Amino acid sequence: MATRVGNWFDERLGWRHVWEAIFLRKVPKVNWLYTLGSATLFVAINQIVTGILLTIYYVPTPDHAYDSVQYITTQVSAGWLIRGLHHWGASAMVVLVGLHMLRVILHGAYKYPREMTWLTGVVLLLITIGFGFTGYLLPWDQKAYWATTVGTRIAATAPGVGDLILRVMRGGDELTAVTLARFFGVHVWVLPATLIALVALHLYLIIRIGISAVPRRGG
Amino acid sequence: MDEKTQLSRRRFMGIAVWAVGGLISAALAIPAIAYIVGPALQANKTREWIRLSSTSKVELGVPTLFKAKIQRQTGWIVNEEELSVYVLTDDGRDFVAMSNICTHLGCRVRWVAERGQFFCPCHNGVFDKNGKVVSGPPPRPLDRFEVKVENDQLFIQGG
Repeated sequence: MATRVGNWFDERLGWRHVWEAIFLRKVPKVNWLYTLGSATLFVAINQIVTGILLTIYYVPTPDHAYDSVQYITTQVSAGWLIRGLHHWGASAMVVLVGLHMLRVILHGAYKYPREMTWLTGVVLLLITIGFGFTGYLLPWDQKAYWATTVGTRIAATAPGVGDLILRVMRGGDELTAVTLARFFGVHVWVLPATLIALVALHLYLIIRIGISAVPRRGG
Repeated sequence: MDEKTQLSRRRFMGIAVWAVGGLISAALAIPAIAYIVGPALQANKTREWIRLSSTSKVELGVPTLFKAKIQRQTGWIVNEEELSVYVLTDDGRDFVAMSNICTHLGCRVRWVAERGQFFCPCHNGVFDKNGKVVSGPPPRPLDRFEVKVENDQLFIQGG
């Protein structure tokens, strides 16, 4: 029965080819360091799922942000778990993309013909940092407020355009409701959209070109 | 290694991947469902006595409208809401307190003195002064509150 349903869909969608291309492709004999990319993808999916769940209760305005986060953490069933997964997942993701990048650098896996895989990965690293920076403000507690005050001031030290960058980031001179709203918008719309598009491209390239083997000793 | 053991090892790994994946998905999906439906299951009824007015202000034989301020907690926000209650007494001793919420679809009914009936503007529901349905779509009489009188003060229970 299951095979018949599978055949019916495969005739129309050709999903078995897609399945084989993604999951049954040939890979060189590698080690556990080669799982860091998949681990990052796993945490990214965790962030997407828990992030969507958090938006069900979170309200990005100065008079509700902190209270709604407290409500999620202390009142909502499993809210502590969902928020905790998102909180710790965020840190795990930054660590994992860092390790993943180190492995690629040390193995020289960025070389021909994988330059585009590398470059999309670099942008994905920047997006991940952007997620961390914008997400840090959203709980709207003292740590969030002052971290973003400092973070945007650091951006303002850029020569020439620094002050403009600060004003664009804050949506004005001060860190206000406007800042919170735009950080939220960037965190839940702009960055996820670019992340998903680039992850798709990154994975397509990995499937198309394949991964590099472990470099030979002295080779 | 012969053909058979190689096949079974591959199959075992395949099943293990699905099993672990399913376990992780369930570990997230079950709390996620609890997280989404949780607040819907929490009872939001405060069972405390709310003072409406002194009993002498209730007219005899005619439903009289009283309003009471109540605090209602919705999520992390505490709102002050106004509760409207029609109180009816025939002898000044026994009181009936009726909600002004139409039992049809929740619009607010009002007392029309000329006709001696409650009227709901949404779908023409009509109730008599005791809250019984006279005509229109309402499925049951107007809801009543528990009432008590202490020191000539009228209290209702609810929230």
